[in-house]
Amino acid sequence: MAEAADFALEPPFAQKFKPSRAKEIIGNVLAARLSGQQYHADNTSSWAREIADEVKNKLKEENWSRYKFVVQVFIAEQRGEGVRLACRGFWDPSTDNYAHDMFSNESLFCVATAFGVYLY
Amino acid sequence: MEAQDPSVEEAAFVADDVSNIIKESVDAVLQNQQYSEAKVSQWTSSCLEHCIKRLTALNKPFKYVVTCIIVQKNGAGLHTAASCWWDSTTDGSRTVRWENKSMYCICTVFGLAI
Repeated sequence: MAEAADFALEPPFAQKFKPSRAKEIIGNVLAARLSGQQYHADNTSSWAREIADEVKNKLKEENWSRYKFVVQVFIAEQRGEGVRLACRGFWDPSTDNYAHDMFSNESLFCVATAFGVYLY
Repeated sequence: MEAQDPSVEEAAFVADDVSNIIKESVDAVLQNQQYSEAKVSQWTSSCLEHCIKRLTALNKPFKYVVTCIIVQKNGAGLHTAASCWWDSTTDGSRTVRWENKSMYCICTVFGLAI
């Protein structure tokens, strides 16, 4: 007999993508990786990649099965430039959500966003 | 020509179509504009709205996430990276970098198959 979970249109509440928990994860990764660091053009792109991978791996460890994740990381030098970052999703708001967090110090600032999209 | 029911069109992320959509949306909003603190939030919203409207008009069984970042040009460096946990046979993304004399705009579309 097929399991009821195979035909679920929505994850049970315990397994729903929780933006607050994702934000906590992102915040911890950013603080751990970037505290005390200075912006350098040569290694910042590898930091961005590593942070994105680390956040994605931590999201996979949470009990959020059947979710696809997209993590985007932006690291920019602090030079007083104006920046605006916006995002929009075309998804099912009952199952999908996103979280973001920011880290900044005197030489750089970093924004990381994580999107969780349910696979029916 | 093959008779094909449009609702069963192949569900794969066609990056080239999406590239054009992004380029045209950003051009329509930012062409000939100077970076302005007051207008930038309206510009990002417009770019995103244009992109989403045209992406959904493609009528594909996809969920989309679109991000847009507009940065003033003043010599600062910007690095972006993305990491995704998805089905690589059906899902994809496309990033388009656009610039003019006063600003950069980087717009990314992630398409996730249902």
